[in-house]
Amino acid sequence: MTTIGGLARYLRLLGHLARYTLSRELAFRGNFLVKVSVEVLWLGILAAFYRTVFARTQMVAGWNEDQYFFFVGCFFALNGLIETFFLENCNDFAELVRTGDLDFLLLRPIDEQFLITCRRIDWGTGPNVIMGAAVMVASLVHMGWHFDALKFAAFCATFACGVVIAYAFMLMLTALSVWMVRNQSLMEMWWLFTSLARYPKEIFNGTWAAPLGRFFTFFVPILLVVNVPAGLVVHTLDPGMVGFTLVATVALFWVSRRFFRHALRSYRSASS
Amino acid sequence: MTPPDAVAARAASPVAAPDALAADGSAPHLHPSAKGPAATARKYYKIFRASLVERMTYRGDFLFGTILRFLPLVTTILLWQAIYKGVPGGEMAGFRYREMIAYLLLTNISRMFSSMPGLAGGIARDIRDGTLKRYMIQPVDLIGYLLSYRAAHKVAYIVTSFIPYALLFFVCRSYFDGFPDGWTLAAYAVSLILSFLVGFYFETCVGMVGFWFLEVTSVLYIVMTLNFFISGHMLPLDLLPQPWSGLLKALPFQYMAYFPAVVFLGKVKGSALAFHLALELVWAVAFMVLARGLYRLGLRRYSAYGG
Repeated sequence: MTTIGGLARYLRLLGHLARYTLSRELAFRGNFLVKVSVEVLWLGILAAFYRTVFARTQMVAGWNEDQYFFFVGCFFALNGLIETFFLENCNDFAELVRTGDLDFLLLRPIDEQFLITCRRIDWGTGPNVIMGAAVMVASLVHMGWHFDALKFAAFCATFACGVVIAYAFMLMLTALSVWMVRNQSLMEMWWLFTSLARYPKEIFNGTWAAPLGRFFTFFVPILLVVNVPAGLVVHTLDPGMVGFTLVATVALFWVSRRFFRHALRSYRSASS
Repeated sequence: MTPPDAVAARAASPVAAPDALAADGSAPHLHPSAKGPAATARKYYKIFRASLVERMTYRGDFLFGTILRFLPLVTTILLWQAIYKGVPGGEMAGFRYREMIAYLLLTNISRMFSSMPGLAGGIARDIRDGTLKRYMIQPVDLIGYLLSYRAAHKVAYIVTSFIPYALLFFVCRSYFDGFPDGWTLAAYAVSLILSFLVGFYFETCVGMVGFWFLEVTSVLYIVMTLNFFISGHMLPLDLLPQPWSGLLKALPFQYMAYFPAVVFLGKVKGSALAFHLALELVWAVAFMVLARGLYRLGLRRYSAYGG
């Protein structure tokens, strides 16, 4: 009961934070519209890039054009969720450490990981989720996909796992700021790191790439994030891989939380 | 999610102003009475040195960032390998697989010179919060100062990332047909230096828009995101269908990524090479004149609020 009560309390808190950040965002409507149009532009650039590629080839690593666009939509939507809820908060962490302002957050009577990583919602990237979903739906319609309840349920579950895995990696990358007092933007770091999740895992093919692909699937499982949900819809449902994704999600969330708390214990306030 | 240059524009750190550097031990001692080209050169050299020291403060983070920068290179190589497996004849717009990978590796060197994260955003912020007046009351020219500052950052970046990049190019040497001849190498070096100037003055012009608009971050997002594609960073411009390919090659953005790479690969030679180098210089000078003009015009309406 206590756990459920605590969860309800945090959900309420998240709702309040969401409303507060939305009212702030709406104070600068023009900025919000530009942020959305940049994301539309970026999706357009990605579409132009892959249309150029598929104008010269039928398949890329076993994915045809429709299947590949489903993958792109899945990545766009998943990354949109990460950006909306966590990226800006994590990006601010290094500055909080550098200035010592982290003290004020640590003194609040709520879970510090929740407060640090969820306190602001970036509504400007929220539409990415809708745009990604639209690309996925358009691809499925174009390829003549028939609705399969089992695949849909597995997709929802593994998509949620993908979000948690990505969040766990971001949290660990954020925690490094305590020791590195990072100067560079986490946004850039995150963009570089997620380049591993942006492509189908089948591209990791060859003498040195295949072991690398296995490493990023089973040891640092960033390749699971988009590949598993997208692959099970447009290719085949692999129960073993779905099961492994669920286990990896729980394990990574636990490890990232431990690592973050360890980092906080190493924090030395810089404000006084 | 938008590419690094665009997110860097979003998270642009303020441009360190002369006052900030003055607090440093190796700060420039600016004597208002010092005149002449030698004194001016000394002044900007000291700004360069102080900026270099500042840049090297976060070495651990810098090295970590450099290592992470190689991840997209790995995935890019693998993606294009997968793409070329399905390409009939193994050639796309005159690029065979090895040339394509060499091109994409070389665009990273081009962007190392031409990308200016935070420059335009920093200028706009200085205008908005009034700190720009420092440049008006101190004997330091804003654009000259920023040029020294950026040059220092580039030197720091090139020096610290030299070993990882040298290692990368050594590992990827099979994608290259050896070193080009001396003239091509010289042309490549010139194209890179000019790409630095084109990138610097272009972003300075964008930053100067801050004199007319209170908030330019939005414009920056769009410019940087678009630049990532139209400069040829994602793929050679030759791959795009006409008229897009011809149109983008007529714009100055190609000099920030595409042109230096194709020079190194020997795809532009003879009179075409000389013509494009001259055109690149013209664009650099045109952006410099535009930046100076915008700065002069902007100062007329600048009110130095805040600060």
